[in-house]
Amino acid sequence: MNAQRNKLVTFAGGLTALLIVAALLAPLIAPYDPLAQNVIQRLKGPNALHWLGTDQFGRDTFSRILYGMRASLAISGGAVGAALIVGGAIGLAAAFYRGWIERVLMRAMDVLFAFPVILLAIAIIAILGPGAITTAIAIAVVYTPIFARLLRGPALSIVESDYVLAARSIGASDLRIALLHVLPNLASIVLVQTSLLLSAAILVEASLSFLGLGTQPPTPSLGTMLSEGRNFLMLSAWNSVFAGLGILILSFALNLLGDALRDALDPRLRRAA
Amino acid sequence: MRKNWFSALALAGAMAFANGASAQTIELAVDGSPAGLDPHIVTAFNSVQIVSGTIYESLTMIDKDLRTVPGLAESWQISPDNLTYTFRLRGGVTFHDGKPAEAADVVASLKRVMSSAIASPLASRLASVADATAPDARTVVVTLKEPTAPLLTALASIAVVPRGFEADKDGLQRAPMGTGPFKFKEWQPNGFIALEKNAGYWDKAKPRVDGVKFNIVPESATRQVGLTSGQYQILPNIDAATALQLRGRPNVRLVDTLELAYTLIGMNVSKPPFDNPKVREALNYALNRQEIVQAALFGAGVPGGSLSPALKDWAVDVASFPCFRHDPAKAQALLREAGITAPIAITLLVLPRQDIRDIAQVVQQQLNRAGFRVELRIPEIGQFVQDWRNSNFDAFASTNAGSTDPDDYYYRTFRTGGSTNVFKYSNPELDALLDSGRRETAMPARKAAYDRAQAILACEGPAATLTYGQLYTATRNNVQGFDIIANRSLMSLSNVVLGR
Amino acid sequence: MSRNFLVTRIVDLAIVLIGVSMLTFLMIRLVPGDAVAIMLGANAEVTVERMNELRARLGLDQPIPVQYAQWLGNALRGDFGNSLWTGKPVVQEIAVHLPPTLQLAGLSLLLGAGLAVPLGVAMARLRGGWRETALQIASVVGLTVPSFWLGIMMILALTSFAPELQLLGYVPFTEDPAGNVARLLLPAIALALPILANLARLVRSAMLDALAQDYVRTARAKGVSERSVLFKHALRNALIPFVTSVGIMTGYLLGGAIVVEQVFAIPGLGRLILGAISERNYPLLQTAILLVTSGFVLVNFAVDLLYAIIDPRVRLEADQ
Repeated sequence: MNAQRNKLVTFAGGLTALLIVAALLAPLIAPYDPLAQNVIQRLKGPNALHWLGTDQFGRDTFSRILYGMRASLAISGGAVGAALIVGGAIGLAAAFYRGWIERVLMRAMDVLFAFPVILLAIAIIAILGPGAITTAIAIAVVYTPIFARLLRGPALSIVESDYVLAARSIGASDLRIALLHVLPNLASIVLVQTSLLLSAAILVEASLSFLGLGTQPPTPSLGTMLSEGRNFLMLSAWNSVFAGLGILILSFALNLLGDALRDALDPRLRRAA
Repeated sequence: MRKNWFSALALAGAMAFANGASAQTIELAVDGSPAGLDPHIVTAFNSVQIVSGTIYESLTMIDKDLRTVPGLAESWQISPDNLTYTFRLRGGVTFHDGKPAEAADVVASLKRVMSSAIASPLASRLASVADATAPDARTVVVTLKEPTAPLLTALASIAVVPRGFEADKDGLQRAPMGTGPFKFKEWQPNGFIALEKNAGYWDKAKPRVDGVKFNIVPESATRQVGLTSGQYQILPNIDAATALQLRGRPNVRLVDTLELAYTLIGMNVSKPPFDNPKVREALNYALNRQEIVQAALFGAGVPGGSLSPALKDWAVDVASFPCFRHDPAKAQALLREAGITAPIAITLLVLPRQDIRDIAQVVQQQLNRAGFRVELRIPEIGQFVQDWRNSNFDAFASTNAGSTDPDDYYYRTFRTGGSTNVFKYSNPELDALLDSGRRETAMPARKAAYDRAQAILACEGPAATLTYGQLYTATRNNVQGFDIIANRSLMSLSNVVLGR
Repeated sequence: MSRNFLVTRIVDLAIVLIGVSMLTFLMIRLVPGDAVAIMLGANAEVTVERMNELRARLGLDQPIPVQYAQWLGNALRGDFGNSLWTGKPVVQEIAVHLPPTLQLAGLSLLLGAGLAVPLGVAMARLRGGWRETALQIASVVGLTVPSFWLGIMMILALTSFAPELQLLGYVPFTEDPAGNVARLLLPAIALALPILANLARLVRSAMLDALAQDYVRTARAKGVSERSVLFKHALRNALIPFVTSVGIMTGYLLGGAIVVEQVFAIPGLGRLILGAISERNYPLLQTAILLVTSGFVLVNFAVDLLYAIIDPRVRLEADQ
């Protein structure tokens, strides 16, 4: 049973790593310039020249998907990273200081959390203007309360545990306690949740690009490819099919990784989820 | 009473004879919700196509061959000095509430458009009108401050509404009422707008169906599926990419015509780099319009100048303008002459509509090969309108509506201080030509003025006109009597009938 | 449940709702672009006077805090203002758009929850080996498939395999009940898949837990049917995680509906909100977003209470 579980972690991790490497090495792997237009070759299905076909300008779909994954991972990664740092800090601060600080912080998080993810992201982008960076900011804001709420509870029980009380009694500073005692104990939750939220962030980023609010053309983006491809659905559906599969496989790999990690790292976490 | 009863019976009999079956409603699918249905206030195209010629009519109208023909006015006389127009109205015309449509209503409508309380975007079309009066119920006299050649064409865009709305800006937005073949029935926001047959329509032969329903369907693929499945009978005014996908589908027919509207790259001439005519000329040489037609319009369209080639009496063949020949080397030479050596970085503001986004991506590639470095900015529509209106751009890619008279193409867009002159372009020679084109009523004099205007605008003007697309309408095979009109009017719906 | 717990929660709820209304108001006003300019449209001829006049008429010339105070005062009296475009009360506009979204969300939830039980049981039965792993992988695919892509693929399938089927758009239930459900089916499936995957996993693990209990094993040894294990133990165990995930799913459904309604031409809240954003229709947007967020907050509030009833430890922690 455990071997099975580890195999799954290896598989999910391997797939994720493969996708990340492919995205990072996009300039080396991609057979074509993702922006190069060639109208004669447009809206083709998969063929020997273009493995996944071409879009309405004859741009190579495979190359664009590689670059699109890169953009998608960069935006989602940056956003979730920022949300983890800010949200984590807020969650820990709430757990450490309790009282009115906790209440103010957590109510503020509740206010943000009250908006459906896509809706809040759309509103933020409407304010900041569409683009890759603003998309990342929007996703980061949306996920900040999730990390804050997620980490506050477990942090609370650690803060009140005997060994932290002991550390306090010998005069350790709050920062020291946070870094040396609390964070390491939260590592597995953070790892699992980061992976799951990255998977969700990929989907949010794709939705926003799909609505025309994310990465701007001609820069390849999976959501935009899907959105542009659907206008030519009955001429050639390949572009939409592959762009969607690209989104799916990225999100899938990260979600499976989180899922498998959760099973492998801490069987107790399984039930709560 | 008895007469009403009788005519209702006769009508019912005629209808039963006509189709022998249940009520016929034509289902159309359109892509966006109109902002409102007051024809004097909302002039956006997705509103106009729903109300113009269906709910509302005007003194004159534009027929399918783009000629200005009698509408609610059955005839008119023009005084020798070209300053007084006397219109004779059709008899037996009523509004949808049953009240007769009289000269006083026409006068009230013209004054409503000109009034500052309503502040209609159409007001400038009547700028030269001094007064309008109604000597009797069927006569309207319009007097002008100066001779105005495009007046009859302009009047085709001024809907006749009942008197009483002169200071009311909200009444007609949701409950439009006119004299047209269809009357307003129901608007379910984001769902549909339903019109029903106006049984009291003055042309007893029309409309031939019991109603039309405009379904609002934002997704192109969904509209297409709706047509192929027979859920909708007409997809009006669609672009080439959509038409291409519907071509050859069973039970689907396509009709097409050349657009009056054009796509363009507009340039801000109030700041570098496009304040320099040489840079504007270079941009023209850098463009490959034939490639744009192929790439973005799927070959369904033509490169064009500042007037639609559909206006055969007016448009000058663009082959006579050197800058319509693609020549990147010449473009770079011109940029060097302008003292520019490094690639010029410009941001292109793009109208967020699929065909314009496509055109912008092609243009970006072309310009980048000829000494420009173009970045695209595609905001959502609200932001676009704001930036466009405030001339907050280096250059923009968008589309401009056309009409059947050159004056409508030029006066507000290119004349100094014109209401849609967002380029901030000012050229005294052009201004004089546009004034004379408006004032002169003889065709040769007008033609000379507009020929010269086209030449001025062609290579160094503030707008690099790109293409005139082919405009399509897709219908089910059993839709009979539909005519596509280049100004996108759907007035022929009154003539449509569903066959077997 | 202690009164203290309830009072704290209700106060928090009120604070969050006020915070949400302020944040919404602020965000909407921070969006660049001017309702007036957009209302007049691109390519239209307008004068500065006309724009200023319109702005004053709509009250947009006041400072933002003043506008908020006015809005709040009116809202507390039940007056949420009129749509900038149509002049109709926004409450009316929202009332028209609410039913399709609620129906879509309800149908998705029904589909997801209804199919999750048999699927979860089936998954629990397949234990060990490659089949279990395959199921886990399949369920993760279900969780991560983008609903808008699935919707487009379904439309593609429809055109390719059943071009005669008329399954798109929306008809009110009162007009044509069968047509109404038929037309909501595809979008509901697109939205339901992640819910189904999520709930089926819950049922599966609850079922496995139940089967592992000693007394259940004993019961089974005595010949108690699997059906009774399912209903007496497993589903009850699955209830707690189910209840907690309903809150998350509500948020997911409301967000997902925004995109899916666009694809399937359903005149719901999502279309209303997207349209109101691009029109800068402030009063409509304010009320629509407030409705969605309060709905979400209230569902989560109810979930918290339920959770506290089911699991007393939560209550204790909050009381401390």
